[in-house]
Amino acid sequence: MTRILFSDKLDNCIARWRAAGLTVFGPVKTDTLSSYAAIEQASDFDFESVLPDRSIKDLFFPQTEPMLRYTIKKRAIETEDFTPPNGKRIIFGARPCDASGLAIDDSLFGWDYKDEYWIQRRNESVIVSIACTKADDFCLCSSLNLAPDSSTGSDVLLRPLENNNGWVVEELTDRGREAFLAIAELLQDGSDPIAPIADVPEKFDLDTCVAWLQNPENFESKFWKEISMRCIGCGSCTYLCPTCHCFDIQDEGDTYSGIRRKNWDSCSFALFTMHTSGHNPRATQSARWRQRIMHKFNYFPGTFSVNSCSGCGRCSRQCPVDMGITETLQKISTLQP
Amino acid sequence: MKIVDRHDEAPGVRTMKLEFQDRADHELFKITFRTGMFGLYGIYGEGESTFCVASPETRKDYIECTFRQSGRVTSALANADVGDLITFRGPYGNRFPIEDFYGKNLLFVSGGIALPPTRSVIWSCLDQREKFGRVTIVYGARTVADLVYKHELDEWQMRDDVELVLTVDPGGESPDWKHKVGFVPTVLEEAAPSPDNCIAVICGPPIMIKFTLISLKKLGFDEKNVYTTLENRMKCGVGKCGRCNVGSVYVCKEGPVFTAAEVARMPAADL
Repeated sequence: MTRILFSDKLDNCIARWRAAGLTVFGPVKTDTLSSYAAIEQASDFDFESVLPDRSIKDLFFPQTEPMLRYTIKKRAIETEDFTPPNGKRIIFGARPCDASGLAIDDSLFGWDYKDEYWIQRRNESVIVSIACTKADDFCLCSSLNLAPDSSTGSDVLLRPLENNNGWVVEELTDRGREAFLAIAELLQDGSDPIAPIADVPEKFDLDTCVAWLQNPENFESKFWKEISMRCIGCGSCTYLCPTCHCFDIQDEGDTYSGIRRKNWDSCSFALFTMHTSGHNPRATQSARWRQRIMHKFNYFPGTFSVNSCSGCGRCSRQCPVDMGITETLQKISTLQP
Repeated sequence: MKIVDRHDEAPGVRTMKLEFQDRADHELFKITFRTGMFGLYGIYGEGESTFCVASPETRKDYIECTFRQSGRVTSALANADVGDLITFRGPYGNRFPIEDFYGKNLLFVSGGIALPPTRSVIWSCLDQREKFGRVTIVYGARTVADLVYKHELDEWQMRDDVELVLTVDPGGESPDWKHKVGFVPTVLEEAAPSPDNCIAVICGPPIMIKFTLISLKKLGFDEKNVYTTLENRMKCGVGKCGRCNVGSVYVCKEGPVFTAAEVARMPAADL
């Protein structure tokens, strides 16, 4: 016997969660790129797409956000810190790769100097993931020691029923249990069969790739030039990535008052590392693509013991020139270490 | 912080002396600051720029910074006047372990606008001169006008416990220039300081560092006894924003001070 949440109870659940003070978010279709956004009713959810175009990162680390407001007076500078909008929320229908992405960035934002904005939003969010029963050619979680039903980063994992009329509920954390207490009486015991998870074939052997990346001799391999020749440095891959976390700090305003903002930045951009003198440690697009791959599969795991990639495949899916992590690692896995 | 003094070192290069406005901030700075650390200096509405703290750890009543006016933030800083307030975040990063240099001879090699970080170490050592052996400073710039801290160069020149070797690049000399003409690595090799019981601290543009390391090797210096400071573009200063790394090493967290042995392990193409 398992506990089941039937789809026809979802509107009731939404009402209960709202009554409990939670804002409900989930995957939604929009006129432009689909994303995770606040929803009003169950029909707003889009559970049919493989995954939203934009990652769950947007809800925790927005594209732009104010850090402080400054006012300059004659003999003093006054600043006022911004705090992220308070509010508990439940993100219903996250994909396991997106939830894993959050767990990956927890290690960075919670390490050493703590990013309070990230941590507050994480503490105030319940992540309810739905195991994937569909995948597309770009999905690569299985190549990264993850799976379409990975529970990493989730507070509750839902497994779709074979009849596609509900989900088996697996509560994983106290935060998840608390949120599901509010809807306890809407759940039913049952033994309905669950749908098989999506088939995501392994695309490369990660250990082989990592060994190649860790070999210092390969840092200047001509492979980097060949693989990134068509990269136009648009940064889409980094912006859509659930784990890319690089940012810029910019002031908006004038000499008297304004706002200091934290904005997404991208290692794809030449200005990212350009020195004032004009010297640029990563002056070419190939050096910048190498940085992205090295960071995700060599440097980041060196510090945090986890790859900075959860296998969502957005970098390849949305790349205007059809590049991406999959192609790069597939080719690396065929090279001599 | 309040600008209490400012003066021009060379065309476009300015030094500012800053005093803390908040007692608690100042106390924290006194506890944490060691020579080699850096800070982010800023003007609201323009942004922040990263430079070293150019004043020594033996003088913590104020902060001195020296910068070349080149972009938006440094232009705004250059326009700021005595009495104006600017922001400072820091000190961040690691330091030159000068206690480990006690009893040793010191060789400082520096080029152009890279004297400020070297100068912080130089004064940190000269302010406790008795703890060190011979002190040699090799400093060069493109032209005579580009030499910074000219008044301090004069002071070091006058001291009999400091050997100062000055040079300018060929073509950069003035008619009354009495010192060397030549690139820093060449002049360093001519001066031929002994590597015995000697620590070298080098700082300069990437090209100078590259050739100075070769010269030091020729002179017999062990990479473990050669220190340098890397200055990469930074935004956060605390290991999050993702741009200052050389290979897997984050300059803001693990640096900016490294031994030449550590630099040699970094991928040269990422420097």
